[in-house]
Parts: sequence; C-alpha cells; structure tokens
Amino acid sequence: MMNFSLRLRRPSWMVDSKRMGMTTDFQWLLLTCILLYLMNQVNSQKRGAPRDLKCITNNLQVWDCSWKAPSGAGHGTVYEVCIENRSHSCYQSEKTNTQIPALLPGDHEITINRLYDFGNLISKFTLNEKNVSLIPDTPEILNLSADFSTSTLHLKWNDRGSVFPYHLNVIWEIKILRKENMEIVKLVTHNTTVNGKDTVHHWSWTSDMPLECATHSVGIRCYVDDPHFSGHTEWSDWSPLKNVSWSPDSQTKVFPQDKVILVGSDITFCCVTQEKVLSAQIGQTNCPLIHLDGENVAIKIHNISVSANSGTNVVFTTEDNIFGTVIFAGYPPDIPQKLNCETCDLKEIVCTWNPGRPTALVGPRNTSYTLFESFSGKYVRFKRVEAPTNESYQLFFQMRPNQEIYNFTLNARNPLGRSESTILVNITEKVYPRIPTSIRVKDINSTAVTLSWHLPGNFGKIKLLCQIEINTTNSVQELRNVTIKGVENSSYLVAVDKLNPYTIYTFRIRCSTETFWKWSKWSNEKKYLTTEAIPSKGPDTWREWSSDGKNLIIYWKPLPINEANGKILSYNVSCSLDEETQSLSEIPDPQHKAELQLDKNDYIISVVAKNSVGSSPPSKIASMEIPNDDLKVEQAVGMGNGILLTWNYDPNMTCDYVIKWCNSSRSEPCLMDWKKVPSNSTEAVIESDQFRPGVRYNFFLYGCRNQGYQLLRSIIGYIEELAPIVAPNFTVEDTSADSILVKWEDIPVEELRGFLRGYLFYFEKGERDTSKIRGLESGRSDIKVKNITDLSQKTLRIADLQGKTSYHLVLRAYTDGGMGPEKSMFVVTKENSVGLIIAILIPVAVAVIVGVVTSILCYRKREWIKETFYPDIPNPENCKALQFQKSVCEGNSPLKTLEMNPCTPNNVEVLETRSTVPKIEDTEIMSPVAERPEESSDAEPENHVVVSYCPPVIEEETPTPGADEAGGTSQVVYIDIQSMYQPQAKPEEDQDNDPVGGAGYKPQMHLPVPAAVGDLAAEDDLDKTAGYRPQANVNTWSLVSPDSPRSTDSNSETVSFGSPCSINSRQFLIPPKDEDSPKSNGGGWSFTNFFQNKPND
Amino acid sequence: MKVLAAGVVPLLLVLHWKHGAGSPLPITPVNATCATRHPCHSNLMHQIRNQLAQLNGSANALFILYYTAQGEPFPNNLDKLCGPNVTDFPPFHANGTEKTRLVELYRIIAYLGASLGNITRDQKVLNPNALSLHSKLNATADIMRGLLSNVLCRLCNKYHVAHVDVAYGPDTSGKDVFQKKKLGCQLLGKYKQVIAVVAQAF
Repeated sequence: MMNFSLRLRRPSWMVDSKRMGMTTDFQWLLLTCILLYLMNQVNSQKRGAPRDLKCITNNLQVWDCSWKAPSGAGHGTVYEVCIENRSHSCYQSEKTNTQIPALLPGDHEITINRLYDFGNLISKFTLNEKNVSLIPDTPEILNLSADFSTSTLHLKWNDRGSVFPYHLNVIWEIKILRKENMEIVKLVTHNTTVNGKDTVHHWSWTSDMPLECATHSVGIRCYVDDPHFSGHTEWSDWSPLKNVSWSPDSQTKVFPQDKVILVGSDITFCCVTQEKVLSAQIGQTNCPLIHLDGENVAIKIHNISVSANSGTNVVFTTEDNIFGTVIFAGYPPDIPQKLNCETCDLKEIVCTWNPGRPTALVGPRNTSYTLFESFSGKYVRFKRVEAPTNESYQLFFQMRPNQEIYNFTLNARNPLGRSESTILVNITEKVYPRIPTSIRVKDINSTAVTLSWHLPGNFGKIKLLCQIEINTTNSVQELRNVTIKGVENSSYLVAVDKLNPYTIYTFRIRCSTETFWKWSKWSNEKKYLTTEAIPSKGPDTWREWSSDGKNLIIYWKPLPINEANGKILSYNVSCSLDEETQSLSEIPDPQHKAELQLDKNDYIISVVAKNSVGSSPPSKIASMEIPNDDLKVEQAVGMGNGILLTWNYDPNMTCDYVIKWCNSSRSEPCLMDWKKVPSNSTEAVIESDQFRPGVRYNFFLYGCRNQGYQLLRSIIGYIEELAPIVAPNFTVEDTSADSILVKWEDIPVEELRGFLRGYLFYFEKGERDTSKIRGLESGRSDIKVKNITDLSQKTLRIADLQGKTSYHLVLRAYTDGGMGPEKSMFVVTKENSVGLIIAILIPVAVAVIVGVVTSILCYRKREWIKETFYPDIPNPENCKALQFQKSVCEGNSPLKTLEMNPCTPNNVEVLETRSTVPKIEDTEIMSPVAERPEESSDAEPENHVVVSYCPPVIEEETPTPGADEAGGTSQVVYIDIQSMYQPQAKPEEDQDNDPVGGAGYKPQMHLPVPAAVGDLAAEDDLDKTAGYRPQANVNTWSLVSPDSPRSTDSNSETVSFGSPCSINSRQFLIPPKDEDSPKSNGGGWSFTNFFQNKPND
Repeated sequence: MKVLAAGVVPLLLVLHWKHGAGSPLPITPVNATCATRHPCHSNLMHQIRNQLAQLNGSANALFILYYTAQGEPFPNNLDKLCGPNVTDFPPFHANGTEKTRLVELYRIIAYLGASLGNITRDQKVLNPNALSLHSKLNATADIMRGLLSNVLCRLCNKYHVAHVDVAYGPDTSGKDVFQKKKLGCQLLGKYKQVIAVVAQAF
C-alpha cells in the first residue's frame, strides 16, 4: 500500500518538479530509479507474498479490497485477510479480493496471509478511508419513451438508494445523442438525493428537432456526493444507451405536424423520406437543407413570424411531389381586459370581457375561457361560436342562493399558454335590470293615473329606483323618480299625479336599483288620454262693430287644450246692461264669432266655453270703445318674423292690453287677429304665421279699463319691407326746347311693399332703338340722376336740355326694401326757333354789314380803285385826230365824231418771263404811266411783248380809215399775269358765245386752237360782236393776229394777246411786221377783265 | 320543413356518404321496385344540364378561391399540390349510353358531394374567416345535392334504377392539416377537370 502510495504520489511530485525545470526533473528521476531498485531488492526477499492492496466502495458500507497475487500463486491458494487493530477479524478468500466492512476513519493495519502448504507469507498493509474510492454502480435506465407530438423524451431510472446507508446527494449526468453517428446534442446534469430507499426518477427533455427526424439515444451515469466520505469519489460508468426512433412507413412525411408555436421562436422541420429532397421552403421563402440520416433532411427556421388563419405551410419538394406540414405561429392569450360581471335579474350573472391582443390562432387552437367562482367552486366554460366575427365575449353564471359576493377568475388558455383575470363583486350592487314590459295606465281622476309594469327578476331583497318619463305633445319632457320595494318576478304599480285633464300623455319607464349601477333600457312608450275637466278659463274675446255701426261682432279664440280641459262643445254668448243679463245665443264649437244687434248702450258681453263636464268662467268685454282724441298714426317695421310694439306704462289701464292687427288693404271691420298682454307690460312682440313680408298691416293698441277698451295707438307697419313691385307710372306733361316736365302717379300700397322713401329719376340722351340705360347704379357719367326724396313732389322739370334731342327717361321708386322696377320713356325736345332765327339773321347781318362797309370803302376809295383797276381810257373824242365835224353829228352831243387829231397811240408793253409758272409775288401791277420806257427797250425781246393798245370806243357804224393816225397820248404797260388766271381762260368758243359781254375793252385773248376751221368761224362771229374789232379784213391782217395758226405753231406755250384796237389806233397796235412782234404767252386771264365792263355798268 | 331540411337531410347524407361504405353495390335489377319520394320533374334532363352547366361555370372560381385561402406555396405550385391526382375517382365515359352516363354521373356527384363535405368541414375549422369560400362550397354542395336527386329521378323513372353503388374519397378527418389542404385542392382540381367533361357530355 505504501508502494501504491509512492507510486501515486511520485507522479504528482514529478508534475510539480516539472515546474522547477528540466534539471531538477532529471535529478528526481535518477533518485526514483535508485529507490525503486532498492525496494525491489527488499521485496525480492518477500517474493510470494500478496501485494498492492486496493479498496473501493459503491455503497459506503462495504469496501471491496483487492490485491495482486504473487507470481507463483496457483489455484487453491487461500488468503487470510486480517484487520489487526480492530477485533482482529480475519476473512479468508480464495480470490485476490475480499469485501470488508467499511472501516472507521484512520489507519488500519491489514495483514494478508497467504496460506499454502509450505508455510505462510504475510503481507502487511496500512489501510485508510482516504485510500478508498467511492464509485457508484452503473445506473440502469428503466425506460426511455418518446412523445413524438411534443418531441419530448421521457427518461426513467432507479437510483438504488437503498444501498446507501444514509441521505446522500446524487448527481446524474444524462447525455442525448442523435443520428447514427451519435452526435451529442445534449449533456445535462440532474441532482437528486437518495434516502435509503430505491427511487425511480423521471426526467424529460424536449428536442428542438422532431424526434421523428432521427434516432435519439440516451445514456446516464451518476456521482455520489458524500461530504463525510474522505476517500476518492468518482463518476459511475455510463449506462447502456437507450434508443428512440420513429418507425417510418413508406410514405414521406414532414414533421412536426400542425404544431402551434410562439411567434418569434425557432423551429426545425424535417422531412422523413426515401426520395431525394430538392428544396424546402416556408411560405414563399426557400431554406437551406440540413441533411440527416439517409435521405432525411431538415430546415431550421429562426424567429418565425405570425401565421395566417390557415397556418404557415412548410414544404419539401422532391422530383415528383411536394410534401409539407402546417405550422401555426401565434401568441398566448392576453390577460382578459375589462372583466365585468353584473346581473339583470339577480338570477344569472353575466360576465363580459375584452380578449385583448389577438392570438392569431383560430379554430381548435383558439383561446378557450373558463369562468371560475372560488367561493362556490363552480365554473363555466366559454363555448365559441363557429364564426367569430363580432364575437361578444361573455359567460353566464347561475347565482347561488344567499350568495351576494362572488370572486370570479377568468382563465384564458390556448396551446401557447394561459392567462387569467379576477374580479370580486357584490352582485346586488351590479344590477342592470331588463326592460320593463307590459306598461298599463288606469285613471284615477282627470289629473292622476296609475302606471304599472312588469319587471322580471328576483328583486325581493332590494329596492328599485325607477324613472317615469312623461311626455306630452306640447309640453316639455318630465322625469319623475320613484323608489319601489322589489318583488319576485312581479308587476309594479305607481300613481302619477299632477297631470292635465284631457291631455295625451306618453309614458315610458326605466329602472335601476337603489344602489345605482345602470339604468335599464327605456320601456316601450305608452300613450294615454286623461279624462276631461271643466274649462279652466273663458275664451279670449274681442269685439268689432260692423261697418254700418249697427251690429257688434264678438270674436273669441278657441281655448288651448290645456285650458279647454276637454272637447269644447259650444259657446254661450250673453250680454248685460245694468246688471241685467240676457243670454243671447249658444254657438257650436267650430264657430268662433257671433254677431249681435245692439244699440249704442255700453253692454258687457260675456262668452262662456262649455265641454262635457261643465262651463268655463265667462270672458267679458264692453261693447263700446272709450274714445281717444289724441291719436296719431305711426309707422313701424318688423324684424322679419314679427314686429315689436312698445308703449309707456299707464297705471290707468287695469286690465289687459290688446293689440289688434289686420291687413291694411282689407275693408272694415278689419281684424286678422288680436293678442292680449298683461296690463303691466310695456311691449309686445307680435308674431303670426299669417304675416307676410311686403304686406302693410295696421296695428291697433288698446288699453283696457273696466272691461272697456280705448284705442291708444294706431300703427302701420311691415313685418319686412320689400322693394316696390311696380314702377311709378309717369308721363311727360310738357316739352320745350331745353326742358321736359315729367309727372308721375303714386304707386298703390299693395304694390309698394314698404314705406316709400323716394324716387330715382335717370335721364340721358338716346334714341329709342339705340339707347338703353344700363347699370343705373354704376354711376355712369353720361347718365344724370335725380333723387327725389320729397314724396309730395309729383312732377319734375328737367332743364338745360338740348333742343330737338331725344332723351331716355327712367323713373323708379324705392323703399328700404330696395329699388323697384324701372319705367322708361323716350322724349324728343322741341326745336329752338329763336336760335334758328338768330342763326339766320346773324350771317345776313354780317353780310350786310360787310357789304355796307365794303361799299363805303369802295365809295371812299373809288378814285383810287378807279385809278388802280379801271383807269380812264382816253376818250377818242378827245382825240383831235378823231374829232368829227359837228355838223355831221350835231344834236348828239355825247357822240362826237372822230377827230383826226394827231393821236398818240397807247402802247401796251407786256413783260413776259420765260418761266412757265410765274409766282404771284412776282406779279407787279404797274402804273399806267410809262415810267420806265427806257427799260422796256433794254429788256430782252422774248421777255416782254409790246402790244399796241387802244382804249375802247363806242362802236361806230362807219369807220374811218383816217383814224389810224389819230390817237391819244396815254400809254399803258401791262405785265403778263396770264399764268395766274390761266384756268379762267376761255376757249375761243366761249368767247364767241358771249360776244355782248365782250363789249368794251377786253383783252383779246386767244387760246391756241388747232382747227383752222374754227378760226374761221370765230372770225365770222367776231364780225357780229360789238366793240372793237379789226378795222380791216382779217385775211389781210392775218400776220398780225396772234391767234393765227402760225402763232400756235411758233410757240404753243406763249400765246400773245390779241389787241383789239380802235380802228383809229389799229394801225398802231399791230405792227406791220409780224415777224418782229413778240409772241403771246398763252391764254391767260387778265385782271383787267374784272373791271372791263365797269364803266359800262 | 326548414328544420327537416337542416336536420334530417344532412344526417341522411352523412349516413349515406360515410367513409368506406363498403364494396360497390350492384345496380338495381330492372324488375326491382323503384319509387321516388317526390314526383320527378318532367324536364329532368334539361335541369340536369343546367345544373351541370352551373357547376362547370363555378368550378374554376371555387378552385381559385380554395387554393388562395390555403396560403403559399399553393398558388405557385398547383401542378404538384393541386394536380388532379385522385386515384379512386369514379370514371366517366362520355360516349356511353345515357343510362351509363347517368349512372357514372351519379357516382361522380356522390363522390364529389362527400368530398366537398369533408372540405367544407375542414375549411370551417382551418379558415373560419374565409366566408366567401364557405359560401361557395355550400352553394356547390347544394347544387350537387339537387343534381344527385335529379339524376336519381331520371334513372328511376326512365331506367328503373333505384340504387347505384357508389364509392367515396378518403376521409380527411384524421389527417394532418397539410394533407387536408392538399387533398382538398387535388379534389377541387379534379372536380374542375371532370365537371367540364361531364357538362360537355350532356
């Protein structure tokens, strides 16, 4: 044993020595070898003795000691083992081991004596508990079962606790291996205790993979933990493995099937198949395959999401088919919320709740509820309807007799878990009565009834609080609370008073308990008509005298239902005078007036309403009206739906005020309605459904004294003013050149629809077809507007108009309600004659004045004019050359014969410029006096033409050839201005047509005429004309005349004047040589023509 | 009457369609008594044709509604999950005599009626909120019941056949949910296929 100890210890030293270094190890190894050698030498002397004693125990009660037999020991050797320091107990054994009772702690000397034929060989050992090993027996699995539905293994084994002498802790180690290659998937320890008895232990384990997917094996070993045992304790050996496997049939299957799991958890699916699986997917998501034994495969899903109602499909696809399973991922039931328990009838308790979060599990996986009452120990289960839509979660619990306090626990459970909610209720305080039924009403009198109803429930121990709702068609809703002692399933009866007679009431009832929890729902309505009573008041009366003043018409209003107290059958009308009453007539109900023939005495008229029960108090009114002289008619406008009338307080008025009104367009007696207001009132709002906007009403306020009425105020008014409906009818009374007088008529009251506030008159210029006033309010500048607010004004004169102009007139009336329609008219103003006259006279006068002034000026300047424009032509008579003998023409003093005095020929010099269009400024009228005769000679020959010229002479019948030498000395110089008046030049024909006009001096203008025949004819005509003419045959003078064809040939633009000349001066006017005469500048017009005939005039 | 229809008729149908009703029964002999509970309509074949047309018209919609309600991957794997692989489905020969065709139609409708009952039951548990699917299944089952009655009337009146042996499909009550889904889908796929042929044949 010592050797054993040495052998045990030295390695540990060696282990320690390794820490010191290689050198130290070597020294120790050498020393050990030396010691071993020495020991061997010692033992060799004892060769043949037992050695290496070793003891173990598995139950702490018996030590099983063994030793090594000597090499020479054979069969039949007997060993005697003795424990020396005890009671020297010895045990003989033919084997090399023996069992000895467990020794007490401490060293014990053990001798093993080998008994054989030749002597004894004794070996001595020192044995201590510390040298004993505790190794439990190998445990044995009693049973290993598998729950495939939950993938759970159930292990069962016996702890064999009976072998141990006392209470011990035992540690079990269990290993789980999977697949054929025995992969350890789980190694767990399980602590138990042994207490001296054999005990069967159970242990379960749930696999993350369905057990069907692969073979699972389980092994177990144990370890006894004894704190009092000082020896060495070791694990037992592993038990033999137990296997669990699923026996697959030929069909391919996928596991787990129809499993319900929590959302978010991980799960493994496997497909047990003989076919090759190609792919796997959950829903639409493909998953990687995990290969198991054979063709089996698995997939692992992490954090699975919530499933639809029909679950999540997991499929494995093979070549030909798809196999799958369905998984239901959901939630455990939420804690039931708002759990409430109440009763309707104190017979049955209704508990309702809200399930909270949906579990996403339906059908058989849905949550089931159980309502458990702890005091009674009773429970009810929730039965789910098939279609859970709008499901109401409620359970009914039958009440227990004499139990008021209930402690309910509602348990919710589904495959994923459970939850619960509790409530403690005093059920008498949680009464929610049912609807009262069978409502009945009975009369007590005209103002009270009894009301009964039925209310199911065991309310015998509580009081009910009921509410009666009373409705009438006219009055407001009334609620009355009544407290009634509860009874068992019976009817309840209450009296309802303070009702009105002959009134239809609608009753309905709801109830609760005195310890209020909830009102029941309202019962059905029950209508009831109370009985009649005598009318409480007399009718509201009024009276009017007829238009002829002979009859008094009594009006009264039907009594309201709350005052009639029944159906009014008739009215009694009576009158009294001086306390003498006379019943006049009885009027049946539908009629509400009576006409009485009364004199002018002041009667008191009484009206009484009667129903089936009796008559009302009389309503009295005086027949005569109290006069009032101080009465004014006022105006008022209402508020759309009524009109407010106010008055001052009058203490003399002892009875009610009466306001009467009528439509103002109606004839007398005018009465639409009346209203009585208390005598202390000072205002009243008159409202009526008959009021219409735009209609004028008359309101009369009467004060009342001793049943006699006095008219206090008369008011005309409108509820609402509107715009006039018609335009004022207007005519034009007078029209002048600058004004129009317009006259219009009043608009009838019915069409005015408001108080007239004025007229608007528009006018503008315009014709009927073209003008139309548009946008009268737009402020057009061309439209003139007159606002006539003086309502008495019926005419309007529009002044400042234009004569003979069409005007468009528009007239419209307006009220506060708006503008009325317009009426238009077109009027044309008259012509302005004075202006016309003035327009004529002024030009005439101006012309006359101008003429007179001109005449005066001409007269005053006649000498200058004459000298300037019409100089004296030398009288041939003064020419001595032409002086005729007096004897010849004696007696004709003005006519003097041509005297053959030496005649100074008049020379006309025409200055001609070559310019074709001479300017007027260049024209110069020269004095007839030849001031610059020298210059004319200096002028170029083509610029001026010198024409011989002779003053006109009186045509003489016998020309004298000798007159050619005679002539005056006057000389005229002409400047050619033909171009200036060339358009007035007349052709030769015109001159021919006016031969007489050409008498006297006139320029002998000749326009170029191409036709020679015309020239000839002209010559013939000239012969017939008066005045100067050539004194010789023109044929012999052809070269002199500028109008000869040759002259036109020479220069067509420069036409020279012909110069008629007196016969006497003819020879001087026309030069003898045509070749040298300047050519005329064309057919111009000489200014001298203007005055040519003046002297003759 | 409604109570009778709601209570008795399903009971009779259940008894009549119970799974594994036994070996096929022979057609009633010609001389056997043939009586119907109610007088048959005069124009039975017209009604049968109309009912077949009605079923044919709604079969595809029912099929789509069904596989849609089963979730993925049913709609995308119709060939493998909903293929008409119903092995024990009664045969139909469109070119047979009217009597043969009516007898075969009777067997088919009886088979389909029982299967539809299973499907309806399963779907009410599995898809309690799929009300349109339930409605369609019920409507189809109703038409099938009428059609079955009319066919039987016709067989009885004209051919004196009072009873036809029928076979039913597998009961799905013990199967897992996926099998129920798959078998239902296969059955409805087969139904859609067969009813078109049958409607054409009549």
